[in-house]
Amino acid sequence: MLNRELLGPSLFLALFTLYAIVAWQIPLLPFEEYETFTSATLPKVYAAFGIIVCLLSIGATLLKPTEKTDSDDVLEKSNVLRTFGLLILMVVYSAALEPIGFLISTSVFLLVGFFVMGERRKKILLLASIPVAVVFWFLMTQVLGIYLVPGNLWS
Amino acid sequence: MFDGIMLGLSTVLDWNNLLYVIVGCFVGTFIGMLPGLGPITAIALMIPITYSIGADSGMILMAGVYYGAIFGGSTSSILINAPGVAGTVASSFDGYPLAKQGHAGKALAIAAYSSFIGGTVGAILLMVAAPLLAKVSLSFQSPDYVVLMFLGLTAIAAFSNKGQFLKAMMMTVFGLMLATVGIDPSSGTERFTFSQADLLDGISFLLVAMATFALAEALINVVRPEKKEIKSINDSDTPQIGSTKLTKAEIKEMAPTVGRSSILGFIIGVLPGAGATIASFMAYATERNLAPKALKDKFGKGSLRGLAAPESANNAACTGSFVPLLTLGIPGSGTTAIMLGALIAYGIQPGPMLMQENPSVFWSVIVSMYFGNIVLLILNLPLIPYFAKVLAMPKSVLTIMILFFSLIGVYLVSFNTFDLFMMVGFAVVALVLRLLAFPMAPLLLGFILGDMIERNFRRSMMISDGSLSFLWERPLTLSIFVISLLVLLFPLKDFITQRRADKAAVKAKQEHA
Repeated sequence: MLNRELLGPSLFLALFTLYAIVAWQIPLLPFEEYETFTSATLPKVYAAFGIIVCLLSIGATLLKPTEKTDSDDVLEKSNVLRTFGLLILMVVYSAALEPIGFLISTSVFLLVGFFVMGERRKKILLLASIPVAVVFWFLMTQVLGIYLVPGNLWS
Repeated sequence: MFDGIMLGLSTVLDWNNLLYVIVGCFVGTFIGMLPGLGPITAIALMIPITYSIGADSGMILMAGVYYGAIFGGSTSSILINAPGVAGTVASSFDGYPLAKQGHAGKALAIAAYSSFIGGTVGAILLMVAAPLLAKVSLSFQSPDYVVLMFLGLTAIAAFSNKGQFLKAMMMTVFGLMLATVGIDPSSGTERFTFSQADLLDGISFLLVAMATFALAEALINVVRPEKKEIKSINDSDTPQIGSTKLTKAEIKEMAPTVGRSSILGFIIGVLPGAGATIASFMAYATERNLAPKALKDKFGKGSLRGLAAPESANNAACTGSFVPLLTLGIPGSGTTAIMLGALIAYGIQPGPMLMQENPSVFWSVIVSMYFGNIVLLILNLPLIPYFAKVLAMPKSVLTIMILFFSLIGVYLVSFNTFDLFMMVGFAVVALVLRLLAFPMAPLLLGFILGDMIERNFRRSMMISDGSLSFLWERPLTLSIFVISLLVLLFPLKDFITQRRADKAAVKAKQEHA
């Protein structure tokens, strides 16, 4: 299995290689053909340098005398699931913000967010979500005069 | 210089700006106290607000937040041994033992006074050093900027934690690559846009800063919560604040330490890539070495010098890190990189011309630092017991609030939901990289400097007719270039030493088995 120390450089190696492929396909304008420095020059330099650094890092890790690491760093499943929940919630909030408007989407985002984080006290769930969204909306729209989307579905 | 100081004073003494200094210090202290959240996150969260208040006030607010966050970090280091900021880790070595002995108030007062003096010495040195360096840097040309930025990028990687040099380099390259997304400003060619209209303008700096710091910071605390249970200030076994008074003998004992550490901190802060963390550790180590035998033994057990040294050094270093930012336009740390991004967003190019083109921004930032120190001393110190209540805030509420403010902060600037999706994507990448122990600051620095490097590099190549000879034609360029190469090779020594030590350790273990 891929060692944790190798995972990062390997991911970067894949990313930098993809970047290099795209960098070599950057179209050059006719006048750039004989130029020494074009819009593709630095991307190519970055890609090449990045790949070298990744290979050095992989080489250094492989050459390093291995030692059994303790499993102290293993993530707890419940925490990983909670993080996934929050990421999905953020995506849903981003998608819902314009169609259903700031007030409803933010209130729901905060409420569900607190719930995902393990908060079960009704007082905190309600008081820290709807009033916060309303106060923020009031401050932005009424005090600072900043436009906040009311919801494309109803307007 | 006198005119400049007067200009800075008149800007800062405007009621609105004074209010921004106070609010900045309060908000910074509040966020800095939360374990895991540092000045970069605090400033990133403030950026959307600063966009609506103008450059002078925005920079003043951010400088206040920076100071406040460092001070807040010291408070949580001392009270609950959970530093909110890497720069205050050294403060917990003696601050927490002092608090455990029932001298939490005294420890907080030492932190506040040392920070005040460190910050003040830093501000005075900045007032002297910045204009001088700005004058010198007026003679800098494009090639000098290319090598200076190269030095900035290599230095931040070289000064990263032990064994992280290659990781920091990968992150720097990743940041530089992200900066190439969008239309090339010189030729108009589309690069890495994948036919997405939303990417034509490139990736927003605010989005990257928020995703990699605020969002990733909040999420990492969810996926890998602090093992140490953070106790609220109201818990019975958490130290009570107590008296904040210091005796004459105690002041006399600490005075030379504070003076030395302030100057040391400032010098280290000026170096690109070093910053408050290295400054505080170096000051701590220096003071321990200089202390007489009896006092040396007290280090780590509640030494007053042991607390005063890192506190004065980290604040002086924060001020010092503004020197390269204001005079050369090159940030020396993640925090100043964010400020550089904010300045560019205002349409202001930091660098040698800043002092002439935008003197009010230049001088008001410097003067506001001094005011920030006064605010921290006069207002924050007496309010610490109340601030400390923030440590009792439910984590569930805090995390979701950070996520909300980050998302809405970016949305309020761009009004584009594509940015929000991209931000979540970046947060996922940043989270994975954080779990794999990759440092984030080099990415941000690479991203912010990427555009400037390309512009100056292109100009240099044009001047030298497509040849790289600009790197060695002028003595100044050559000197900075050589220094950058030395900095780049510096971690190699550590790597070889570490490998030898690792090999020896494994061999010893095998023999033992």
